[in-house]
Amino acid sequence: MTREVGWERNKDPLPIWEHRGKVALVGRGHSATDRRWDGESMDKTLGAYTIIAAQEAMDDAGIRPDEVDGIITSPGGQPGGAPIGDTWGPVREYFDPPYDSEDGLTQVTAEWLARQMNLTNIKYYNSHGDTLWNLIAQAAQLVGDGRCEVCLVPYPTGNLQGRYHQTPGLEARGGAQWQSPWGWGLSGQGFTFEQYARKYGTNHDRMAPFIIQERKNGLLVPFSYYATHEPEPFTEEDYLNGRWIAQNLSIFDCDRPVQAAACYVITTAERAKDMKQKPVYILDHTESSFQPRSFVQTLDDTEEWCDIQANRSYQSSGMGPDDIDIFLPYDGFAIFTQYYIESFGWRGVKKGEAHDFYAGDISIEGPNPLNTGGGNMGTGRMRTTFITDPMEQLQGRAGPRQVKIKAEVAVTHGVLPGNAATLWFSSTPG
Amino acid sequence: MAIVLSFDIDGTLELGDPPGGVTTDMVRRARDLGFLIGSCSDRPLSSQRSIWAKMDLTPDFIASKHQLGDVRSKVTADAYYHMGDRDTDYEVAEQHGFGFWWADEAATEPWIGLAPAT
Repeated sequence: MTREVGWERNKDPLPIWEHRGKVALVGRGHSATDRRWDGESMDKTLGAYTIIAAQEAMDDAGIRPDEVDGIITSPGGQPGGAPIGDTWGPVREYFDPPYDSEDGLTQVTAEWLARQMNLTNIKYYNSHGDTLWNLIAQAAQLVGDGRCEVCLVPYPTGNLQGRYHQTPGLEARGGAQWQSPWGWGLSGQGFTFEQYARKYGTNHDRMAPFIIQERKNGLLVPFSYYATHEPEPFTEEDYLNGRWIAQNLSIFDCDRPVQAAACYVITTAERAKDMKQKPVYILDHTESSFQPRSFVQTLDDTEEWCDIQANRSYQSSGMGPDDIDIFLPYDGFAIFTQYYIESFGWRGVKKGEAHDFYAGDISIEGPNPLNTGGGNMGTGRMRTTFITDPMEQLQGRAGPRQVKIKAEVAVTHGVLPGNAATLWFSSTPG
Repeated sequence: MAIVLSFDIDGTLELGDPPGGVTTDMVRRARDLGFLIGSCSDRPLSSQRSIWAKMDLTPDFIASKHQLGDVRSKVTADAYYHMGDRDTDYEVAEQHGFGFWWADEAATEPWIGLAPAT
């Protein structure tokens, strides 16, 4: 199957989604999380981890492999299926099958997974999914449209030894000439944050309560990198002593690349009734994609894009900020979160007020639990806590992360300001 | 003669992620020979303290990697060396006038011959 186009809900004005509450998340699974693959442990390859996650997701949903009839994935976790880290070959030799190509090592296609897991009833394969939020949205649309009924949605994120997410070219043209020399995305995001700090009279250090809270939440996520590898509580002293990567971004504002996989099961609300877990109904999905007006993304671009997407999501869902119990805005660069909170106006936060909001109570136990799953800052760059955590919150099985407030509607939003999707989850069909 | 040995952690020390070739015994031996020892890493300071606790050693300093220059002002010595596995390690060492060993060189304990009189 080639990359599908035109499935997105991105043309205003949007009607209420035709499949609202008729599609549900019913299973989730996670592998262990490593900093990198060591190039030797074949039980810890990206493929091996994706199999573990897929099996766990099916077990969680209480389904047999022969019940699965669709798989959609983003094989390397990036748009177009590209791996985010380095490739294994062609410099290094491949291994015996099934690791005789990049498939299973730095990406995991739907076809590879079906072969290894003997999933014989798949009628829909798609290995051209986008980043996680878009991927879940596309899977929900597929199930709602009846193109498959029980859909596996694996999301592998790999990391090999060596450099990560580099811009390998020796030349940079156009806008890239201003950014590529400084590393992927970094100078641009630091620049936008600088504009934000100047406009609203704030500074980097005021991010500290947010990062500390995310790291604290992440330690309560069993599969998180930090819970399993670096369990020391993260302090304000730690944050304020972080090395600048691109001022105003420190190393602790950038997510840590990891090797991990997750998988979800999405099915119809009708079919979900017979499954093991309480369904989490998908009420809405919307998407957006933008280009900067000039060479470099500015704060004006960022705020305009986020406002358009937030308004689109509210219009499409027929709901508003007061309807959101739990909000999970992406944090791959931690500064993204403030743009999203302000555009969505969650808890009444207006432009320039996010850092004041962070200084209040954003704890799991409090009235404004933010990124209860720890986000990427608290779990590593796997992104999947943004789906797993709201699922578990609405199912009432988040354990020590379970919020004390009402948990009936959750909204998760990501990935970049210029390329995003918003998902509405609910404990009822709506 | 006082000599500072600054250890990067990940990719350098055996307790790093990934593990490096510098073992805890090597670090302990350096301490016993009279070197002033500590870590300079991109890990949070709390995580660096945890690593030293696991090694059951008390460091003379810990610092974030970009703060290597602060070590020079806080710890008085006649010579300063840093070791690590990344270009960043080399760059900060050069910037702040530290001698430098790559992690694989460090695993051969090149400081032994420089041991201060104890």
